[in-house]
Amino acid sequence: MATLMSLANEPVVQDSASASVERLVERWASKYGDRITGYLRRPAQPAVTADFPSELSDELREALERRGIEALYSHQREAWDHVQRGEHVVVVTPTASGKTLCYNLPVIEGVRQAKAKALYLFPTKALAQDQVAELLELNAAGTLGLRAFTFDGDTPSDARQAIRIKGDIVVSNPDMLHQAILPHHTKWAQFFESLRYVVIDEVHTYRGVFGSHVANVIRRLRRVCAFYGVSPTFIFCSATIGNPKEHAEALLGEAVHAVTRSGAPCGERHVLLWNPPVINPDLGIRASARSQSMRLARHAIRAKMKTIVFAQSRLMVEVLTKYLKDVFDHDPRKPVRIRAYRGGYLPTERRETERALRAGQVDGVVSTSALELGVDIGALDVAILNGFPGSIAATWQRLGRAGRRLKPSLGILVASSQALDQYVVRHPEFFDSAPPEQARIAPDQLLIKLDHIRCAAFELPFLTGESFGDSPADDFLGVLAESGVLHHEGDRWDWIADSYPAGAVSLRSVADGNFVVVDRSDGRQTVIAEVDFSSAALTLYEGAIYMIQSSPFQVERLDWEGRKAFVTRTTADYYTDAIDYTKLKVLERFDGANAGRGTSHHGEVHVVRHVSGYKKIRFYSHENIGYGPVNLPDQELHTSALWWQLTQAVLEASFASRQDALDGFLGAAHALHTVASVRAMADGRDLQKAVGSGDAAWFATRDAKGRGQWREPDGQAGDPERADVFLPTLYLYDNFPGGMGLSEPLFRSARLLVREAMMLVESCDCTYGCPACIGPVSEADEDARATQRECAAAVLALLDA
Amino acid sequence: MSRVAEKLRQLRIDAGLLTGSSAGGHSSCVVPASRASASANPTVAREPPRLDVLRKLMRQREEPQPRKLDAPAGDEIAPGLRLVERTFNYEASATLVVPAMGDIAFDRRRLLCFDTETTGLAGGVGTRAFMIGVAAWKDGQLCVRQLYLTAIAGERAMLQMFAGWLSAETILVSYNGKSYDAPLLKGRLRLNRVSHRLAELPHIDWLHPTRRVYKEHLPNCKLSTIEREVLHIVREDDLPGSEAPAAWLSFLRGQSSVNLGRVLDHNRQDVITLMRLGDHLVSKLS
Repeated sequence: MATLMSLANEPVVQDSASASVERLVERWASKYGDRITGYLRRPAQPAVTADFPSELSDELREALERRGIEALYSHQREAWDHVQRGEHVVVVTPTASGKTLCYNLPVIEGVRQAKAKALYLFPTKALAQDQVAELLELNAAGTLGLRAFTFDGDTPSDARQAIRIKGDIVVSNPDMLHQAILPHHTKWAQFFESLRYVVIDEVHTYRGVFGSHVANVIRRLRRVCAFYGVSPTFIFCSATIGNPKEHAEALLGEAVHAVTRSGAPCGERHVLLWNPPVINPDLGIRASARSQSMRLARHAIRAKMKTIVFAQSRLMVEVLTKYLKDVFDHDPRKPVRIRAYRGGYLPTERRETERALRAGQVDGVVSTSALELGVDIGALDVAILNGFPGSIAATWQRLGRAGRRLKPSLGILVASSQALDQYVVRHPEFFDSAPPEQARIAPDQLLIKLDHIRCAAFELPFLTGESFGDSPADDFLGVLAESGVLHHEGDRWDWIADSYPAGAVSLRSVADGNFVVVDRSDGRQTVIAEVDFSSAALTLYEGAIYMIQSSPFQVERLDWEGRKAFVTRTTADYYTDAIDYTKLKVLERFDGANAGRGTSHHGEVHVVRHVSGYKKIRFYSHENIGYGPVNLPDQELHTSALWWQLTQAVLEASFASRQDALDGFLGAAHALHTVASVRAMADGRDLQKAVGSGDAAWFATRDAKGRGQWREPDGQAGDPERADVFLPTLYLYDNFPGGMGLSEPLFRSARLLVREAMMLVESCDCTYGCPACIGPVSEADEDARATQRECAAAVLALLDA
Repeated sequence: MSRVAEKLRQLRIDAGLLTGSSAGGHSSCVVPASRASASANPTVAREPPRLDVLRKLMRQREEPQPRKLDAPAGDEIAPGLRLVERTFNYEASATLVVPAMGDIAFDRRRLLCFDTETTGLAGGVGTRAFMIGVAAWKDGQLCVRQLYLTAIAGERAMLQMFAGWLSAETILVSYNGKSYDAPLLKGRLRLNRVSHRLAELPHIDWLHPTRRVYKEHLPNCKLSTIEREVLHIVREDDLPGSEAPAAWLSFLRGQSSVNLGRVLDHNRQDVITLMRLGDHLVSKLS
C-alpha cells in the first residue's frame, strides 16, 4: 500500500541551507570546541505516502487537493484504516508530520455521511483555536458544510446554547469537559446522543497528576456517553514518548492501536549539546546558560537563520527577549525582528505573533514551553534550548520546532548548572540512545479517584456494584455518603448536597486544603495568593517573608485550622528559608530484591516533615542574619517509596567511620534522585529523597558545609557512633498523599538507576563533589580521610549488582 | 470502616482536607492505631484494596436503618411520592389579557402557576427538585396541587405526574422560572427519561415585569418582598426558602418532619401569590 516517493512541492535537499547549518556548526566547533559535549546528526527521511482510501468522498478529496494534498502519508492512511474498523487509535509521530489529518479525515467523513458529532480536546485554548481555524480552512477549500466551534472559558454564554445544538465538532479542553460540560450533560443531550468520535491531542502532556485526573474525566465522559446510548471511538495523538500504546490504554481503560511509523518527510537534523565553560573548577561553577544561549542566538540570527529560543520561565523569556532586541531591534523605523511568546499574553497578541512567524517576518522568537506544543508557527531553522526542559521527550519536542519538511535544521541544548542538565550534556550517548521517557499515570490514586467519583455521582446516580474504572465504586460511595453528599437508598447512591463538586476539583493538583494569604496592610483585607497545603508549613510560618511579584510581605499570624495566613507589606532586606526535617517510616513492604551487597525495596511509607525554625537571609549578600522558631503541626504523608539498605556489617567493612557512610548515603541519594527524575519524567518536586533509618529512629541531613549530620527524631544533632543499630536507608518517595505511581516502575529499574548514578558520580569533572553529582559541598574538608564524592561512589558501588 | 475508606480518611488528613477534629477524633499529628499495628509487621502481604464480600455484608448489616417518619401531609400516590391537594376561593375574571402575550384575551383556565423547591442553588444536573407545586384556576376556585418526595425513588413518578399536567393549551406562569425552575426540571426530566412538552409551552415569567415596575421603589424584587409590600400578604411562621433543602434532607434522613410541613406551606403560598401577582401586574400594566 505504502509507496516511497517524494512529493513534487518538496525538494529533497536545499543546498544553501544545508551548507549554512554546517558552516555554523564548524565555526562554533573551531572556536568553542570544548563547550560542545556532543554532536548528533539524524539523517533526512523521505516521504512515505499512500493512496487516498477509496471510501473517501469526492468533496473531501477535492477539498484536500485544493489545499495541495495529493496523497496521504502512510501514518495518516494507517490511522484511517484502523478507525474505520472501529478501533481506538493513538498516533505518535513528530511535530509537523500532519497528525491532524489522522483524525480530521474520519471525523469529517463521519459528520458528513452519518451526521456524527465529535469532541476534540486540547490541553490549551490556543491549540483549540488553531484547530478550529484549520478545520474552517479545509471547510472553505471545499463545500463540506462543517460546523466547528471552540467551547472554552472565553465562550460567551449566549453562544453556548447554539454550540451545544449546532456544533458538529466541538473543540474544548479537559478542564471545560470536567467543569462545564459533564456537570451539565442534559443540556448537551443532543450532542452526546450523536457523539461518535472523541479526539484527544497532545496526550503526552496528560501524565502525572494531570494525566491521572484526565483519565478519570474520560471515565466520567464514557459513563455519560453510556447513558445516552453511545460508545464513541477515541483517537489520541501524542508527541514521541516511550509508551504511547500503554499510556493511551491507561487513559482510556481499553485496547488502543498505536500508529508509530511516520510517513512524513524530514530534513537532516544536527543537534549540539553545549556546556558553558567552567569558572570555578573546585566548586564546579560554570558560566550561565543564559549568556551562552544569547551568544548562540546572535550568531544564528546574523547568519540569517530563523531562530527560536526556549526559556524555562516567563521571566527568563522577557530577559532574553530584551537582550536580543537590544541587538537587533534598536532601530524603531525598521520592522520588529525579535518577538516574545508566552502564557499570560493576550490571545490576540499571541495570534499576531503566530501569524508573523508563519509569514516568516520574525527572525528570532523567545518562548516558554507554550510553543513546544503543536501551535502552527511555520518553519524555523535553529532551536536553542536555554536549559534542559526536564525530559528527553520534551527536548525532542522543542528541537522539533526547527526544520520543517526537508530543510536541514540545527538544535542546541545549552545546559544550566543544575544536576539534571549537567547529567544530560555530559552523557551524549545517553541522550542519543535513551528511549524517550514513559508517561505514567495513576488513575486509581485514591484521592483523585474519590474526587471524580464525587463528580460522577453528581452527573448520574451510582448503582450498588457499579464500576468506576476497573473496580466497583462502593467503598468510595460509602465514604461520600458518610460525609453527607450522597444518599444511599435501596441500590442507588444519589447526589444530595447543595454544591457543584467539579468546581472544587482542579485537574492540575491533588486535592488539598489550600491556604489563602490575606493582606492586612493599611487596614485592608485582601486575598493576594493561595498556597498548597503541602507547602504552607514551609512558606507561611509566622515571621516568614512571603514574596509576590518580588515584593515582600511578612506573615503576622497563621490560622492553621482556618487555613489563612495574615500578612502585611514590609520593606525587609532579607528573605526567610525554613529549616525542616523529614523522617520516614516503612509501613508495608510490597516487594524486595538484592542490590549488590545490599537490598532494594518498594512499599508504603509514612513521611513526617517537621519545620523547626527558619533562617533570615539578606538579599544579594546571602549572609545568614538570624533565626526564628516555628511551632506548627508536623506534615504527614502516606505514600509509596523505593529504598535501598546496606547492613551494618557491610558498612563497617567498607567505611572508616559511620560519618563517612552517612556522607556517602546523602551523596548517593542526590545522584539517584537526579537519574530517577530523568527516568520518571517527573518534576524534582514530585519525587523526593531522604536518608534515615527504616523505622524513623534517626535521620540524616546536610549541614552548612554539606557534611552529613545524624539527627534524633526531635531534630537534635547526635553522634552516629553512639547508636546501637546502624542501618542507613536511602529513600525516593512520591510527594503526594497516596503516591502517584512513580516509585514502583523506579523499583523495577533499580539496578539501572544505581548504574546510572555511579556513572554520574564517576564521570563528574569536579574534585570533591558538586551540585551536578552528589549535591552541594561547600569546601574540601581537610580532616576527612575520603572525599564525600568518594564516599558516595563507595555506597553506590556496594549497591551495584 | 473498610480498608479503602480508612485509607481515604488518612490521605485526606495528609492533604489537609480533614482536620483532626473533623476526622473522627484523630489528631493529624497521631498515627492511628490500625496504621501503627500494620507497621509492626512490615512484611504483611499486600492485600488488594478491596473489601471481600463478607466484610461488605457485615458493614451493611451494621449500618443503622434510618427511622421511618410519618410524612407531614397528603397521600402516597407512588412509592416515595406524595400528593397534597387544596382548593381556595379565588374570584376573578374568566379571561385576561397579558401584554407580554399579545392583545388577545385568553382563558384563565390555561394558566398553570408553578414553583419548585430544590436541593440547592449550586446548579448542574446534580441539583434536583424535591417538591413541585402548581396552582390552576377553575370556576372561582384556585386548586393547588403539590407533589413531594419522601424517597428519592419517587422522583421519576413525580416528574411523570407533573409532565402529565401540562397540556398543549397550558401557559406556564412562574417567578424566575425561565432561568431557574424550567431548566432545572428539563434536566431532571431528561435524566429520568421522561418525555414532556415543557420546552414548547408559552411561559410567562413575572420576574422581569415586576423588576421594571418596582425596581426603583423596593429594596429588592424577591417574591416575598413584592408579596409583603405590594400585595400586602402576610405570612405566618414562614420558613425561608433557603432553609427548604435542609428541611427535606432532615426528613429524608429520618430526623424530623416538622420543617418539611412548613416547606409545603411556603411553596403553596408561593404559587397562590403567583396568580395574585399576575392579576396585580395585568391591571397595573394595562
